[in-house]
Amino acid sequence: MKLVVAVLKPFKLDDVKEVLKNMGVHGMTLTEAQGFGRQRGHTEVYRGAEYEVDFVPKIRIEIAVDDEQADEVVDAIVGSAATGKIGDGKVWVLPIETIVRVRTGERGTDAL
Amino acid sequence: MQTVAAYIPYPHWLNSGDNTWQLVAATLVGLMSLPGLAVLYGGLVQRKWVVNTMLMAFAGFSMVLIVWVLWAYNMGFSSQTFGLFGAHGTGFFNNLVGKPWPITSHFGEQNQATSLAQTDVPFHFPNATLAYFQVVFAAITPLLFLGSILGRMKFKAWLLFVPLWITFVYAVNAKLLWGGGFFAMKGAVDYSGGYVIHLAAGVTGFVLAWMVGPRLKRDRDHGVPHNLMLVAVGAGILWLGWNGFHGGDPFYAGVDAASAVLNTNLATAAGLLTWMFWDMVGTRQRKPTFLGAINGMICGLVGITPSAGWVDGYGAILVGLICSTIVWVAWNYLSRVRPFSKVDDALGVVYTHGIAGLVGGLLVGFLADPGMVEYIGVGKTPSVVVNGLFYTGSWHQEWEQFLAAVWIICFTAAMTVILATITKLVCRGLREKDAVLEIGDVAIHDEEVYPQETFAERVSAMTSLVDRE
Repeated sequence: MKLVVAVLKPFKLDDVKEVLKNMGVHGMTLTEAQGFGRQRGHTEVYRGAEYEVDFVPKIRIEIAVDDEQADEVVDAIVGSAATGKIGDGKVWVLPIETIVRVRTGERGTDAL
Repeated sequence: MQTVAAYIPYPHWLNSGDNTWQLVAATLVGLMSLPGLAVLYGGLVQRKWVVNTMLMAFAGFSMVLIVWVLWAYNMGFSSQTFGLFGAHGTGFFNNLVGKPWPITSHFGEQNQATSLAQTDVPFHFPNATLAYFQVVFAAITPLLFLGSILGRMKFKAWLLFVPLWITFVYAVNAKLLWGGGFFAMKGAVDYSGGYVIHLAAGVTGFVLAWMVGPRLKRDRDHGVPHNLMLVAVGAGILWLGWNGFHGGDPFYAGVDAASAVLNTNLATAAGLLTWMFWDMVGTRQRKPTFLGAINGMICGLVGITPSAGWVDGYGAILVGLICSTIVWVAWNYLSRVRPFSKVDDALGVVYTHGIAGLVGGLLVGFLADPGMVEYIGVGKTPSVVVNGLFYTGSWHQEWEQFLAAVWIICFTAAMTVILATITKLVCRGLREKDAVLEIGDVAIHDEEVYPQETFAERVSAMTSLVDRE
């Protein structure tokens, strides 16, 4: 089992969610995040003082999937979240040791 | 030793009670705009649009104040007639608009207030009081139609459109209905601005929203209000501020001011409850909603605006009930048909202000109770009252109300198209670029409504201070 983690532009959420739903992904976890990569931050000005805000609002999606499905999910996310501009985000994949569904106690792929 | 009074505090024509009430009432109306509408709208928009919304409200309010004293007040309320195209007498063009003239001189501010509309009962306060009372009315109107164009209009375009609109639309409508102009002479009445303010704001908002174009699709799909508690604060200030709106409009701290205040609150309560009732029985969810109740509250407030001091308590409750019901139906069903379904009126100003103002203005002709006395007649002079159809059986008042409404709708819509076109040419467009709209406040103002110190690092000033040490 794999954990796909993606940090993306917030306004791309709907597109990504739609594509993942259509390919049969059962669930995902979403967190509002702040981050920066190569994309520059912005300046804010309060009472004449300038503040550099490096961190840009992002969304962080986590999806647990079968080993076979992982690549397909990554491609789907990349395909639907890309705008071609700097700051589109990153996707990475981690191995999962085990998963337990809390309600039933099922383990492993049954719990996905 | 004999003491001689060397000074008196004010001239003989001034009544301190009337002057006090008028200034308090004006301040209450001002509070409806700032912070009332600023936080109401600020609460209703998405988080990324709050700063833009609030600044448009504060800047628009300031714009109107300056324009008002320099020329627009006298266009609406001057006691001098201004024969447009050389017209004179009682015709339309001689009674369309007053002479543009400042009121900023010492006599402009300190002389006894006069107005063509109010020749029989002298004002008990100076011109500065009347001008300020009238300016807070003028200033709230652009802030109302601001609700239609939130979240995409160019800030610069807003700064130009507001003064143009006050000069060429508001001042004219105010003159026609309040400043002793053509429709006032014919007998149309508008107690506190159901037509001049609310109907005009609804029409302008709708037309301007159409011309500016819709918000981003994402902003429309995710247009959830960012803070309902701020909506509660703004709505509460609006409701109670309306006491100044209507309590001030008889211009004397007298009997009719008292009944207007009570009637206003009755209609508002009825409007709020009516909308809530329809939400509980007429929607798929069958649940009372806070934002629905606030809509109903505004319908009641706007609906009673044209008639507050001319209907009795029964009439006031009916006004709230009818306005809220009609607007509820329009909000839920009319919004599905063209052109309403095609125009992105962000906060629905055309319904809660436009339609509510229109219905309220037309209800005057039915419900005005001739027993409600605005000014008491002395000797053989009859008291100042308005005669509704239900009491007198005469359609006269209703007909005048209808004609004035047709004028307000057509004139305001046409002028909005013209003024917005001029604004568009001067400001090179009416809307911000899509890239800016995606970001909102930070892109337009370099500010956000909830800045987080964790993420913000001070540049220039702090670093240079450290460097010097």
